[in-house]
Amino acid sequence: MKFLCAVLLLAALPLHAQNQYVLQQSTLTWHITHPMHDVDGISHAAKGKGVCSGGTCDFLVAVPLNTFNSGDSNRDLHMLQVVRGAEFPMVVVRTQLAQSALKASAIDADLTIQFAGQTVHYSHVPFHRTMHGKDVEISGTIPATCSDFKIDRPSFLTVPIHNEIPVTVNTIWQPM
Amino acid sequence: MAADLPDAPLPQDGQSTGQSSPSENQQKQAPQAPSLGDLGFTPAQTQANAKLQARLNKRTHMLKVHQTLGLITAIPMVATLITGPQAKAKGRNGQTITEPTPANLDFHIALGGLTTGMYWTTAYYAIFAPKIAGVKPRGAIRLHRDLEWVHGPGMIITPLLGIAAYKQENAGEKVHGLASYHGTAAVVTAAAYGAAIVAVSWPIHLKFWEK
Repeated sequence: MKFLCAVLLLAALPLHAQNQYVLQQSTLTWHITHPMHDVDGISHAAKGKGVCSGGTCDFLVAVPLNTFNSGDSNRDLHMLQVVRGAEFPMVVVRTQLAQSALKASAIDADLTIQFAGQTVHYSHVPFHRTMHGKDVEISGTIPATCSDFKIDRPSFLTVPIHNEIPVTVNTIWQPM
Repeated sequence: MAADLPDAPLPQDGQSTGQSSPSENQQKQAPQAPSLGDLGFTPAQTQANAKLQARLNKRTHMLKVHQTLGLITAIPMVATLITGPQAKAKGRNGQTITEPTPANLDFHIALGGLTTGMYWTTAYYAIFAPKIAGVKPRGAIRLHRDLEWVHGPGMIITPLLGIAAYKQENAGEKVHGLASYHGTAAVVTAAAYGAAIVAVSWPIHLKFWEK
């Protein structure tokens, strides 16, 4: 009986292994535009996981807001304040994809994003998939805006930043 | 350990764009969908901190006042520099000394006093803005803060030298000794102050009107 259980467990392992993805590397970059400045804030601290079952895959990516670095600590603290980063310290992105969609080079994703105390849904966000051996690189840009997340736009010399705060995503996933 | 972590903080309000709502999307998620607890973040990274948010809010408010007052202070500072030569006795040794008119002198002193008062009020809002533990200054803010060590002492020394120069002129003496460096101290202080404003604003789009 024990032997049978062991055989069944071993047989199930590869199946399980193909159905999970773990985020190995990531670069997330927010971009703000002001008439006098263009600024990027970068984080490599995202963690993520994907679980596939029944032909669909659920992906979750999360990143602590305080890991974004724009090269200026004063600006980063101001960013944390305006996005209420101490009250809502994580950006959490969820998406559900058909497993077959992961084989295409162009991925059309519906994203649910929790950020700044708001939950916003973005439909049909285009991502690009590239294979690197077994690893899967997925990259794209999320067309976020300040108004979507009810963020009071920071201003400099009384002029606010543009409403658009696109977030460029570059992720490398490893199948388990 | 990771499994004990709380889930993402619940939003206070919801909003959706696109075709389906978040609640619909969450309903569609399979029961085996990964949760935030699966990712291995520490509780310190995921837990809300209302006290820190309050400190950040107060910090931003005070630094916004600092920025606004700092820019306004630059106006009387420049005006004080411009009126400086009119408040100075003219003429070299051996030549006829032309004393400044009392009006010019009083105007320069009033502008200097206004600048000094506004400067220290501006400084108060930066000095007493809440500090955030564990954050080391990086980037342009470092030069902005380093320049305090030039214009801060300058805003003490310049008025003191100005008072000394005023007393010497009132006593009918040509300004001499340390007091004769009042103008130089003022120029160095104003230059450092201007550089601090530019440093914290840099880099700037030179053709910003095209954006």
